Amino acid sequence: MKEMWQDAMLEAFHETSRRLGLFVPKLLALLTFLALGLVAGWLVKTLLMRLLSALRFDSFCERMGLMPTLARAGVLRPASSIIGRLSFWTVFLVFALMGIDALSLPATANLMSLLVGFLPNVLASAFLLLFGVLLANFLAEATLIAAVNAQFHEARFIAHLVRWGLYLFTGAMVLTQLGLAKEIVVAAFCILFGGIVLALAIALGLGGRHIARDKLERRLRRRAAEEDELTHI
Amino acid sequence: MMATQNIDDAPWQQIRAQLPKVNGADILIGLPTFNNAETVKPVIQAVTAGVRQTFPSANVLLVNQDAGSQDGTPELMKDAVEECFPIALLNVTASGGGGMEPFPRLSGAWSTGREEAFRAFFSATKDAGATACAVIDPALRSVTPDWIGWLLSPIMESRAEYVAPLFLRPRYEGSLTNTLVYPLNRALYGTAMRFHAGGGCGISGSLAGLYLKQEFWRERVARSSLDTCLTTVAIAEGQGLCQAGLGEKLGPSAAGGEDLSAVVAQTVGAVFYFMERYQDFWEQRTHDRPVLHTGIPYRPEPDRGPINIDRLMRGFRQGLRDLLPIWEIILSPDTLSGILPLGLIDKDDFRFPAQLWAQTVYDFALAYHEKVLHREHLLKSLTPLYLGQMASLVLRTQDRKPEEVEECIEELCETFARMKPYLIERWRFS
Repeated sequence: MKEMWQDAMLEAFHETSRRLGLFVPKLLALLTFLALGLVAGWLVKTLLMRLLSALRFDSFCERMGLMPTLARAGVLRPASSIIGRLSFWTVFLVFALMGIDALSLPATANLMSLLVGFLPNVLASAFLLLFGVLLANFLAEATLIAAVNAQFHEARFIAHLVRWGLYLFTGAMVLTQLGLAKEIVVAAFCILFGGIVLALAIALGLGGRHIARDKLERRLRRRAAEEDELTHI
Repeated sequence: MMATQNIDDAPWQQIRAQLPKVNGADILIGLPTFNNAETVKPVIQAVTAGVRQTFPSANVLLVNQDAGSQDGTPELMKDAVEECFPIALLNVTASGGGGMEPFPRLSGAWSTGREEAFRAFFSATKDAGATACAVIDPALRSVTPDWIGWLLSPIMESRAEYVAPLFLRPRYEGSLTNTLVYPLNRALYGTAMRFHAGGGCGISGSLAGLYLKQEFWRERVARSSLDTCLTTVAIAEGQGLCQAGLGEKLGPSAAGGEDLSAVVAQTVGAVFYFMERYQDFWEQRTHDRPVLHTGIPYRPEPDRGPINIDRLMRGFRQGLRDLLPIWEIILSPDTLSGILPLGLIDKDDFRFPAQLWAQTVYDFALAYHEKVLHREHLLKSLTPLYLGQMASLVLRTQDRKPEEVEECIEELCETFARMKPYLIERWRFS
């Protein structure tokens, strides 16, 4: 009885020691990967921020209207700082995943390969988002200035339409690229965009055709009456 | 370098092919045309009469570069020239368009292919060894024989290298030039050149060679504001300057009917473009340089018709309402705080102070230099402010004599000059 008790105790102790012996190096590997991730992330962040600073990326974003958009959304950091932080966390995440993979846990067995496979979609989506926001701001600004100079009273409304139309379009493209509920996104976009256009067409064609005609006539007549043939240069 | 040489040689090769007996010329007269059948004959008659009257013994060569007329302009021109004057018709594709565009732009603008034509004339002037070159716009109805003497005599007599046109026009015509381009350039470069555009100009052979070496030919600025390019380079390169009073300029308008914001962007953009290139020159310029004058003395003429002040005011007020977020990026807080109260003033009391206008223009120049915004947007967003300044000028002077507009412009020039240190100080640290 005593021997059996001793054997059971020793077996349990050896088994736990063996398991611990197997797990501790994996834990150390995880911790090493996390430490390396911190260092590599900081390095990538620093180098990237210096490169963006040399390329005057912040001025470019300012010119393209990205910074005011971010400021409106409550983000007051420069674009290079945001990209630097993102790069830090991306690199850290990659190292953290390697560490988790090193633990050989059954639950995280395919995590790394899944995430690495998904990474191109994430990068493409981020690029699409950045490009879409920049384009939307640029075109909205151009529309606003053109409409103000043409003395359209609804200049800001037209510029907002352009900006949000492009945001909507960009959002749909990003979600499609990420493959998130693709069919729903496409259908929602078509319904929303088509619905807006149809609503505007019906509103103008049925409800406001007389108003539109009167307005156009007034505008054209006013233009003709106002033309004073003055040259400015 | 080799390719540039070939392009610059092409016009002279064409001239020699058409006129084998011509080995050189004392004076070259360039005539850039595009669908000018209606006016080309009287212009040629005036030019040839002017040459006979002023330079009877000079060896004169007429050169036409047509930008693709479909009304037979080159043939009409050739028919109108008397046999005693050699005339060469240059082909656009082979005359050295500088590799820009093989075919003319078909927008219907009077200035189609203008920069290519000027470049070809300058190239031919250099290769012909001509002392002077005059370029006359055959689209005008007001060219007289006197123009030749006024444009070329200062050069032939070695009194000037560049002769710019100066037209008599109603007091509010050319307001962008009068209230912005002229005061700004005068403050920068210290010369009272009025920057009137088009019509005609005179250039010495050496200056033509200098122009050919410039980089602006390949830039958009050459296509949109060639006259500003020629005048500014002549000033900044220290050439002898002269303005020729050519009387009225009757013909197609350069800017009438065009989108005003595009005109503002092109015109002001050209001035800012050269501010960046000649920074070292204008920063150190402190004294005025004399400018010769020939021809009819300048004076502002009475208005041709009423000015729609309400439209000007509406444009300014809408800009103030809608473009404020953009102006906040461009203008200094001090300037913006001066502009904001103007939106609350009644029309009759509305005045845009000269100092505020100068500060506004300088802020735009600095913002252009610092590239705080896309440059096209930046320049176009100046339009409502210009409308406000113009409304103020009209409101201040409409019941007074035309000469009083000149007094206001002179006041603007003095203000721009007085505030130049503000520009220099901020430009250096931008």
